[in-house]
Amino acid sequence: MNPLLTINSLKKQYDEETVALNGVSFSVHEGEFVSIIGPSGAGKSTLLRCINRIIDATEGEILFDGLNVGNQNKGQLRKLRTKIGMIFQHYNLVNRLSVIENVLHGRLGYKNTFNGSLGLFTAQEKKQAFQIIEILGLEKQAYKRCDQLSGGQKQRVGIARALIQEPRMMLCDEPIASLDPNASKIIMDHLKNITTQMGITCLVNLHQVNVALKYSDRIIGIKHGLKVYDGPPKSITKNQIYDIYESEAGELILELKDQNEA
Amino acid sequence: MQIQESIYHLWINSTKDKSVDLLAKYNERKPFNKTSFAIKITLIALLILTIYSFYTFDYKNLIIIDAVKDTLINMRTMFFGASLRNFTILEGIRQVSFTLGIAFLATLTGGISAFFLGLLAAQNLSTKLVSNVVKGFVSFVRAVPTVLWVLIFAVSIGLGSTAAVVGLTFHSFGYLLKAFSESFEELDHGVIEALTACGANWWQIVFQAVVPSSLSYLLAWTFIRFEINFVEAVAVGAAAGAGGIGFELFMASARYFNIREVGAITFLILAVAIILELTSSRIKTKFIK
Repeated sequence: MNPLLTINSLKKQYDEETVALNGVSFSVHEGEFVSIIGPSGAGKSTLLRCINRIIDATEGEILFDGLNVGNQNKGQLRKLRTKIGMIFQHYNLVNRLSVIENVLHGRLGYKNTFNGSLGLFTAQEKKQAFQIIEILGLEKQAYKRCDQLSGGQKQRVGIARALIQEPRMMLCDEPIASLDPNASKIIMDHLKNITTQMGITCLVNLHQVNVALKYSDRIIGIKHGLKVYDGPPKSITKNQIYDIYESEAGELILELKDQNEA
Repeated sequence: MQIQESIYHLWINSTKDKSVDLLAKYNERKPFNKTSFAIKITLIALLILTIYSFYTFDYKNLIIIDAVKDTLINMRTMFFGASLRNFTILEGIRQVSFTLGIAFLATLTGGISAFFLGLLAAQNLSTKLVSNVVKGFVSFVRAVPTVLWVLIFAVSIGLGSTAAVVGLTFHSFGYLLKAFSESFEELDHGVIEALTACGANWWQIVFQAVVPSSLSYLLAWTFIRFEINFVEAVAVGAAAGAGGIGFELFMASARYFNIREVGAITFLILAVAIILELTSSRIKTKFIK
């Protein structure tokens, strides 16, 4: 089976001094739940944003579902982006609009300029939006303005907005970094369900190593714009994690199961 | 008690030499302060100029006390004995609505053009180059006073209400564009990023994210500009012969020297200004949550 996403020696240089990515290569198969871990500033966010070309890569090649992301023209790129959902640490919702309006934004990629600008969505799309809202347990908040929601609820709206795109892959940029442990668990459980039940591939940037180890099928470690680890969570060792974060053994708050001691 | 004091002096004396040195160093190191020097010079110059100008005024045998008294009597006649002579109150209201019409048209055309160019001037929606070009052009438009714009267009269009509307439009455009583009720039970059990631195009982002987020600011700014435009339209009505209540005010004061009528017109304008103010605060509380 061909991988859904293939990244070949991806490089991104912001200016002469700032190199965010320095030749990263990996591929992700359909239905995988992959976590990317690494210290702040390692290039994790840049990597995700290169995949749907919110940021243009300097060098390298990204293939999504057989299409070269770098070669798409404006219209093709819009179409391609509808197939990649994205959620963010700060949710990035339009706070003055209601939950349902924010969820429907996920359909904009499918609409022409006129209908999209005026927010003319079909009955089918609205029905779908309410279904997704219900799946995520937000039906009571559907008409509330987003600035009245808690962080966890906002993130679920973010997930709903991504899901209504009918994506094949989700890019999650530190989805639980601003949430309390309880809300974090709800969000991670939803993301895991999305992968196992809907078959949507998830690529998640995470700061919480424990969470990454618990939920992922695969871990990718990034340091200084380079891939330093790629493998299942079971085989990653404490020392490798310390190496990724460049810290002395024992300095990190980790609760690895004993099997990983090495 | 005495013992304590002597210990204190002993202690102080022991540090004396050091502290004197430090003090000397501190005074030495205190640099010449440019800012405070400039402020001092400015204040002294202003003081000298004020005294000098009072000495050299040509008072033309004016007696200050009598002058103040006469002014107060004039004010009393103007505001407590206000009455209309050359036109009726209905005619006055008609003239006020004419002035309001000029202000409304100028705000509408200025506001719509400011909205679209404001999108190009907002750095988060446009490129840096385009944004700077638009902002530069608009700061030029804004630098020219409203009355001057009206007079510029009076040359090409002729004195009258059309020149007033076009002239006021230009300045409103410059003013509102700055306000609008700054409201647009308030929008978090992440929201634009998120909608881009959904596949939304530029116009969809503008109408689905930028406008809903900044709508209350846009309304507030537009209404403030409408109030300003009303006052400007009064002034321009006299200065450029644009008509309306401003022209009647000009006639009453400069032609007929009828200060009672000036008072009545002032009250009329004040009433409209208060109504505008009340309406705007009503609208604001309704839309700005």
